Amino acid sequence: MRLERIVVVGNGIAGLTASDSLRAAGFDGELTIVGDEHHSPYSRPALSKAALLDAEEMTSHQLPDSTHDARELLGRRALQLDPDLKTVVLDDGSILPFDGLVIASGSRARRLAGADPAARKHELTLRTLEDALELRRRIADRPSVVVVGGGTLGMEIASGCLAAGCEVTLASHHQPMVQQLGPHLSEVFLAAGLSHGLKFAPSRAIGLREAGGHPLVELADGSTLAADLVVSAIGDIPNTDWLADSGLLTGGRLEVDSRGRVRPNIVAAGDVAAFPTSRGITRIPLWTSAIEQSKAAALALLNGDDAPELSFSPYFWTEQFGLSLKASGFLPLEGAPELLEGGPDGGPALMRWSHADGSGTAVALNYRTPIPKLRRLANPAPALVESPA
Amino acid sequence: MEIILDRPRCEGHGLCEEVAPQLMHLDDEGELVLDVVHVNEDQLDAAKQAARVCPVAALRLA
Repeated sequence: MRLERIVVVGNGIAGLTASDSLRAAGFDGELTIVGDEHHSPYSRPALSKAALLDAEEMTSHQLPDSTHDARELLGRRALQLDPDLKTVVLDDGSILPFDGLVIASGSRARRLAGADPAARKHELTLRTLEDALELRRRIADRPSVVVVGGGTLGMEIASGCLAAGCEVTLASHHQPMVQQLGPHLSEVFLAAGLSHGLKFAPSRAIGLREAGGHPLVELADGSTLAADLVVSAIGDIPNTDWLADSGLLTGGRLEVDSRGRVRPNIVAAGDVAAFPTSRGITRIPLWTSAIEQSKAAALALLNGDDAPELSFSPYFWTEQFGLSLKASGFLPLEGAPELLEGGPDGGPALMRWSHADGSGTAVALNYRTPIPKLRRLANPAPALVESPA
Repeated sequence: MEIILDRPRCEGHGLCEEVAPQLMHLDDEGELVLDVVHVNEDQLDAAKQAARVCPVAALRLA
C-alpha cells in the first residue's frame, strides 16, 4: 500500500532522522511532525558535555536546520493513539489521521523528589534544552551541588559543575560508571573524578526534602547530604503513557521487530522503543542507537520486509574529568582488557574486551582514533576462508 | 554552499563520514578531513545529513 500521510510523534534526533530518511527514500506525501518541545531538534548528548562549558552563549547543542519540509507541530503532545482508526489525538484536541506512523516520543527524566513542591523546586534534571539552560544559570553562582546517580549523565554533570567552580558530591550506591562500563574502567573514572575534587557518597539516595530553604538528600544509610542544589540523573522513563490503551504495549514496553515495526504501518525508534539486539529485546537510549533505529524504521515503513533489518553496532562516548572515552561494542565490560596501544590506568590507551558470545568491544581512552577502526578492532571481519573453486 | 568545520569541537566520532563518505573522512589519526568544501546541489543533502548526525555540532553549512 502506498502511504500518503505519515505522522511522526517526537521531534528529537529519532523523529528528525526518521523524517529525513523517509524523504531520502522517496516519500513525497504529507509529513507531519509532532513535538512536545518548542524547539527544533538539538544534540541532547551535548547538553551534559560541551554545552555546560560553553562560555557566553550556549551553542554546542545546535544542529543545522532540517530539510525534510514537514509540517511541524511543536509544543504539542500526543495524548492517544488508535491504531485501528489510524488517528493520533493531540493535547489541543486536534486529531491527526495517518496511513503510516513513526513513534519517536522519547523518554523523560526520572526524579528523586516525591510530590512535595517545596522539595521538587530544588531538584534539577538534565534532559531538555530548558533543563540545560536552567542548570547553567544555577551553577553560575557556584552553589554546592549534590548529583544523584553515578551513571554517565550524573558523572558528566558532576564534572561540568566542578569545572564551573562548584563543590560537588556524587551520591550513588553503585560505583560510578560501573553499570555502564564495568569494574575496570569504573575504577579509572572514579579516580579521575576524585583527583578533580569530586566527593563520593557511596549510598543510595532514597528521598529529597527541604529543610531551612535548602534541599536535603536522604540516603539509605540514614545520613543526609545538604547542598544548595540537587541534580538527579537516575535514569529515564520511556514516554509510552499516550500508548496505554493502544494495544501496542507488551508488558508496558513498546517492542518492535528487527525492522523497527510494531505493526506494518506503525514503527517506533529512539529512546521509547525496545528492539531486538544480540543481548535480547532492550532499549538502548543513546544517540547513535536512535539514529540507526530511525533509519531502519523509516525504510521498513515504506518498504516492509524488503527493507534491511536493523544491524546495530553500539557506539558510546563520554567526556568527564579530563577523560574522553569512545567505545564500540556492547557494554559493560567484565574483567581486564587486552591493551592494544598505550598504557594502563587512564590512558591514552586503546583496549579490547572479548565477550562470551564471541563479540568484542574496543575502547579508546584519551586516544584519538577513527571510529571505523575502532569498530574493526571490536569485531574484526571473519578471516577469509578459502573456498573451493 | 560551504562546509565549515569547527575543528576544536570535533571529537572524531566519524558519524559524518558514515553518511557522507564522498565528502569527508577521518584520517589515521582520527582527524576529520574535508575532501569537499564547496558542495554542489547534488552533494547538499549528504552535507546536511553529515552536519546533522554530528553529536557535537562541529559541522555547519554556510
